[in-house]
Order: sequence, then C-alpha cells, then structure tokens
Amino acid sequence: MMPGRALGVAIVLASGLAQAQSPEALGWLRKIQDATQKLSYRGTFVYQHGGRSETSRITRYVDAGGDIDRLEVLDGVPREIVRTRDTIRCYLPESRVVKVDRRTAERDFPALLPERVNALARHYDISLGETRRIAGFDCQAVTLAPKDDLRYGYKLYADVHSGMLLKAVTVDSGGDTVEQFMFTQLAIGPVSRDMVKPRQAARGWRIEDSAAAPARLAGWELSSELPGFHKVSELKRRLGESRPVGQLVYSDGLAAVSVFIEPLEGRRDPVRTGLASMGAIHIYTREVANHRVTVVGEAPAVSVQRIADAVEYRRPH
Amino acid sequence: MKDRISALMDGELDDTSASQLIDSLGRDGEALQAWRTYHLISDAMRDGRVLSDGFTARVASRLMAEPALLAPAGLQSEPRKWFALSAAASVAAVSLVGWLAFAPQREARPPQVAQASVTPLKKQPAIVPLPSATNDYLLAHQGFSPRASLQGMAPYVRTVSDQSQESTK
Repeated sequence: MMPGRALGVAIVLASGLAQAQSPEALGWLRKIQDATQKLSYRGTFVYQHGGRSETSRITRYVDAGGDIDRLEVLDGVPREIVRTRDTIRCYLPESRVVKVDRRTAERDFPALLPERVNALARHYDISLGETRRIAGFDCQAVTLAPKDDLRYGYKLYADVHSGMLLKAVTVDSGGDTVEQFMFTQLAIGPVSRDMVKPRQAARGWRIEDSAAAPARLAGWELSSELPGFHKVSELKRRLGESRPVGQLVYSDGLAAVSVFIEPLEGRRDPVRTGLASMGAIHIYTREVANHRVTVVGEAPAVSVQRIADAVEYRRPH
Repeated sequence: MKDRISALMDGELDDTSASQLIDSLGRDGEALQAWRTYHLISDAMRDGRVLSDGFTARVASRLMAEPALLAPAGLQSEPRKWFALSAAASVAAVSLVGWLAFAPQREARPPQVAQASVTPLKKQPAIVPLPSATNDYLLAHQGFSPRASLQGMAPYVRTVSDQSQESTK
C-alpha cells in the first residue's frame, strides 16, 4: 500500500470522527452512487435476513445504448431477473411465468441527485466509519444513523478505489441487524453482452404484464403523512394475472413505502388485517372502503403501520 | 426436532407448536444444545454480538455461589444487610429468569416490539403470514426504492427470495 493513500485514509477517518455530518461522508455516498451507475461488474453476493441466507449472482453491463442488469438466484427455487432501460422481467421457470414491469422516466429515480443526497441529512446522521477488507477489497464504511425511529439505519461498505458497494447492513433502533447484502466475490470490469442475456428462453410461458402507468387515484390519500415521507409516485397497474390495483409511493429519499389499493368486489378471500415481515420489509394489510389496502416498505413496522392506518377514501366531489 | 428448532428460530411455528417446543427445550438437553448452537451460528453469520462459550453455565454457577440468604439465622441482628443482599439476589435471579424466558423468543418475536417502546403504536398489530401475492407486491414496489441508486439490482433479490417459504404457509 502506498504511504500517501494510507495517510489519506487516516485523515478521512479522523475527520469522520470529528463531525457527524461530514462533507466527506456525503462525498462517499455520491461516489457509491456514481460507481453503481457507471461500473460494469460480475459478482456473487449473499443476502441474509432472520437467520436465512441466499446466494445470488449479479451482472451489470454498462452501454451507451442502455445498461442491462441481471440477477440470478442460485439457492432454492431458480429465479432470474433482468432489468433493461425500459423493462424489468422476472423469470420463474418452475411456474413457467415471466412477470414484466415497464419502467417509465418518472419512476426511475434519476436516483439520488446531489441535492437529494444532501437532503438525506435531514433524516439521517451521515458519518464515516472504519475501513475493512471485504471480498478482497479495502472498504470504507459509511454510516447513516436515523434521527428518529421511523426509519432504519444503514451501514454501507464501499471499495476505497472504485466506490463500488461491497456490503450493506440494515439495522433497527436497537442496533440489531435486520438484513444484509454482501458480495463474497466481485470482478469489476467489462462484461460481455451474453452474460446479461436471460438464461430462460421462456417460450410458451405465461406473461404477466403489469401495464403500469401513471394515474390519479381520485379520493385516496393519507389523513396525515409520516414525518419525512412524501408522495413520489401515483399509478395504476396490474398485479399477478389480472388484478387491477392502485399504487401510491412515499419516500424519505432512501427508504420507500408503497400503498397498494385493490377493489374487493368479486373476491372471496377475506382481508386478514395485520402485519407480516421479511428482513427489512414490513407488510401491513387492512380493509378500507371495500378495498384491500396493502402497505409494503423497507421501514420499521411502526412506520408501515402508521401509513396504513392513515389511508382513507373520500368520495371526490 | 432440529428442523422444528430451526423453524422456531425463523418464527415459522404457530403459537401452540412454538410453546410445545419451548417446553421441550427445557427438558431435552440435546435440543437445548442444538438451539444454542443454531443461535451461535446465526449470530456469527450476521456479525452480531456473541455470548462467550459457557456463558449460561457461568451465570448459573455464580448464582449458586451467592450466600444462602433464606437461612433464618442472623436475620434479627442484621436486617439491613439481609435486605440489601436479598434485593441483589432477586435482581440477579430475575435477570436470569428474564434472560432465559426471553432468549428463545428472540427470533420469533415480531420486530415491532422493539419499536413500540419508543413510539407507541395505537394498537399492537396482529401478526399474519406473508400475503400470497407478496412477490407481486415486492416486484411492483422495489423499482421505487431510492436505495437502488446505491445498490443497483441487489435489493431485487428480496422480490422473489421467499417463494419456497410462501408456499409452505
């Protein structure tokens, strides 16, 4: 290791300790964001939650004509997701189904723009943590500690050279790990287009197209918004084979919560009011005005439930 | 038995089976050992805090070593000291009991309990299984998470990761 770099890391570390909202830490978030967008790579990562773990292979192909990402789950039921500029396709070989979701300009958060990164500081204390070696990369830790208990905290580990995110840990207010993603092997550099082609030919499979399109869901709103969470999208789509649903999305700039609204007419299965969870995801279901309201988000149970409890329908005049 | 212990840790057993299994953990030395080993593995995998080997045994032996406080002799002569010692022992005993009582439920416990103490919910929600359409909801939701801009496709693994689990519910 070059002495200059070691010194640089030491200075960055020291300044990270000195102030909670360091410009260096915000700079690191931008660096991670840049790397996520601009790098091609291929690697294996492990997703862990609640004592389970699952290995996947992820490949990203960056091209002026449109980036392509491919995620292949290696454990358990084979599954594959391919994301192109306009679509996300989820291949489920066992049920011979392809789920297709369209991407629209509005939906692509041109990600966290620089001003949005700064806005994150309203809800999170962002600081630099330790350096650590992960999957052969020297990584810098960036900590996002929530300022209230309505959101989770995050610890991100990024390669000091490229900014590529090697590990992301989600923690609850008690400091316990809720879920984590970690690369166990990663090769940054050009990949061939073949590597992001779906493995499944999917000939003769059933296609479930979400037909998602921006729409106004007249009459549906929250009686009160959750602090920091603002409505970022409103659309209509189909779920599964044919169920039409409305979707409202709220976000604090990092976490997002979706409210799905489905008419109950003609449906026999009763609405089971209550909370379900999986890793950092909570799902709260209740019935409002003869509709099933399902709130899904990577936020603590209290946030998801508060949003669900605030959903109301007022007949438009 | 080991499958059921694993299921208990994942919060997959219903209340009746869970309490039967917890009872049997109290009786069956081998099951209890498996329970501890699984937690140790799980803690190590998640980079969590791990209690050192033999922690339980050491706490138990310290408690055994506490003076026998219930002996009536000397009570009259030193009532204050007795009171203080007794209180200390009670706290220790309550801590141990509390720890033992809560330990097996750590994984099964719904995650909102920790939150509830900070921001009280209007009511405790009923815990229900994941909806059968969970994957559809997640696939529809995931595209909106700003986290994708820091992490690319990785969070999509959640979209489909529990298909097998779902079908067993």
